[in-house]
Amino acid sequence: MREIFKLTVVLTIICSAAATALALVYNLTKEPIAYQQRLKRLAAIRAVQPDYDNEPDKDFVDLPAAKDKKGGDLTTRFYITKKGGVFTGTVFTVSASGYGGEIDIMLGLAPDGTITGIQILNHTETPGLGAKITEEKFIHQFNSKNLSNTNWALKKDGGDFDQITGATISPRAVVNALHRGLVLFRNDREEILTGKRG
Amino acid sequence: MGFFSEFIKGLWQENPVFRIVLGICPTLAVSTQLSNGLGMGLAATFVLLGSNVFISLIRNVIPDKIRIPAFIVVISTFVTVVDLFMAAYTPALHERLGIFIPLIVVNCIILGRAEAFASKSTVWMSIADALGMGGGFTLALTLISSIRELLGNGTLLGIHVLPAAYSPAVIMILPPGAFLTIGILLGLFNYLSNRKSP
Amino acid sequence: MENLLVILFSAILVNNFVLARFLGLCPFLGVSRELKSSLSMGAAVIFVMTLASVSTWFIQYYLLIPYKVEFLQTIVFILVIAALVQFVEMVIQKVSPVLQKALGIYLPLITTNCAVLGVCILNIREDYSLLETIVHGAGGGIGFTVAILIMAGIRERLSLGRVPKCMQGFPISFITACLMALSFFCFQGFFAH
Repeated sequence: MREIFKLTVVLTIICSAAATALALVYNLTKEPIAYQQRLKRLAAIRAVQPDYDNEPDKDFVDLPAAKDKKGGDLTTRFYITKKGGVFTGTVFTVSASGYGGEIDIMLGLAPDGTITGIQILNHTETPGLGAKITEEKFIHQFNSKNLSNTNWALKKDGGDFDQITGATISPRAVVNALHRGLVLFRNDREEILTGKRG
Repeated sequence: MGFFSEFIKGLWQENPVFRIVLGICPTLAVSTQLSNGLGMGLAATFVLLGSNVFISLIRNVIPDKIRIPAFIVVISTFVTVVDLFMAAYTPALHERLGIFIPLIVVNCIILGRAEAFASKSTVWMSIADALGMGGGFTLALTLISSIRELLGNGTLLGIHVLPAAYSPAVIMILPPGAFLTIGILLGLFNYLSNRKSP
Repeated sequence: MENLLVILFSAILVNNFVLARFLGLCPFLGVSRELKSSLSMGAAVIFVMTLASVSTWFIQYYLLIPYKVEFLQTIVFILVIAALVQFVEMVIQKVSPVLQKALGIYLPLITTNCAVLGVCILNIREDYSLLETIVHGAGGGIGFTVAILIMAGIRERLSLGRVPKCMQGFPISFITACLMALSFFCFQGFFAH
C-alpha cells in the first residue's frame, strides 16, 4: 500500500512539474503564435485583394452559406477590404471537392463581383498532376472574370478555362467552386457591403 | 566508451534508421523534401537531447515500476515545447511537418534510448548518445529526403539542380517512392556491411 | 450515414494508415512475419484505436478545451493511451491467457504505435463528431489490419523464395510495401465526382 502511495506521489510530482513547465512555455509562445497566424491570414488576403488600408481580419461579416451534413448552418466569413473607408472588395474562402479531398480556395472580389485574385490554401491533390492547380499559369486565368463576362466551365466542357494536362477533376472542381463563390457573393452582396449580419 | 565513440556509434554503426530500423514512420512521411528532413531531424535531436539529459539526471530517484510513464511524461513535455516554439518561430516548417511533430513522442528512437541508455548512464554520456543518435537520424533523413526531392522534383532545398530536361519521377515524393528509397538503401547498406565482414 | 461510410472507406483504402499515411510502420514491419500473429495484432490495434479515439475525444472536448489547456494535448493523450493499453493488457490476462501469450510483447508496443496517437490527434484536427471519431478510429485500425495481413501473406511466401542476402528481412519488406502502396494508390479519387 505504501509503495503505491509513493509511486503515485512521484508520478504526480513529475506530471505537475511537466504541466507547469509547459504552461510557462505556452504563455511565452502564445503571442508569437497568434501573430504568425494573423500574418498568414493577412498575407493570404493581400495576395488575392491587395487594394486596402484597413484591417480586413478584424472587419468581417459572417453569413450562412449552406447547410452542413448535420443540417446546421455553415457560415462563410467575408473579410471586408476598404481604402479610405470606401469598400474596395471582399475576400472569402470556398471549398471544392477535388480528386484527393477538399480544396480550400481563397477568393478576392471587387465590389462588382469581379475576381481580383485567387489562391489555393490547402489541397491534397496528386503532386505533378492535380496539384498543378497551384501554379501561376492556372490561377492567373481567373483574374478579372465575373459571372457575366465568362463561361464558367473548362474548355473541354465548352467553357473558357484551361485545364491541366492529365488532370481534369481538380481544375473542374476549382472552376465550379469559384462559380459558386461568385453566385454566393451576388446573392449576399447587400449584406456584405453594408456589413449587416445576415 | 569515451564521449566521442559514444557519439560516433549513433551516426553509422548503430544508426537508428539504417541499422536498428527505428523511427521509420516520421522518416518516410516527412522526407518529401530536404528542408522537411532537416527540420524534423533537428527537432527530434533537440527532444532526444532534452529527454536523455533530464532522464539521466533523475535516473536514481525514479522508482523502477513507474519509469516508463515517467519517461513518457518527460519526452512529451519536450515534444510540446518544440511544437510550441516551432509554431511561434518557424510556422511554415511547423505546418509542413504537421502531426509528425507531436508524433515525435512515439518515435521509438527516443523512448528506446531513454530506456536502454539514459536511465543507466551519466549525463555527459547521455548527451553524447543523444547527439549521436539524433545525428544519425538526421543523416538518414537528409539522405532519404535528398534522394526523394532530387528525383521526384528535380530540386534540392527548393533550388532546381537537375536540368530542365529531367522529367521528375513524381512517384518518388509519393508513399511508394518512400518505401522504395528506404528499401533500396537498406539493401545497399546491408550489402556493404556484409562485404566488410564476410 | 453516407458521410460515415466515406470516412470508413477512406481510412481503410484511400488513406490507408500504413500505406498512405505512414502510421504504424514499426509493428507493420515487425509483426508481419506470419499471418496468425498479424491477425491478433490487428485485432488488438482496432480495439485500442477505437477505444483511444473515444477517450481522447471526450478528454479534448470536456477537459482540455473548457480548461483552456489544449497545449497539454500531446502529454495527456499519450498518457491516456499508455494507461488504456495497460488496462487492456490486464483484461486480456484475466480473460484469455492464450491470447496474451499469442500477442506477447506486441501488446505493450501498441502504446508507441504512432497510428494510435496519430488517429487521436487527427480526429481532433478534422473536427470530427463523436460518431465520426468512432468510425475513423475503427476504420484506421481495420486499414492497419488489412495492410498487415496482406504483408504477412506476402512475407510467408517470400520466405520460401530466393531473396538476395543483402535484401533479406527489412529491405525486401520495404520493396513489398512500395508495391502495396502503389496498388492502394489506385483508390485515390474513389470519392471524386
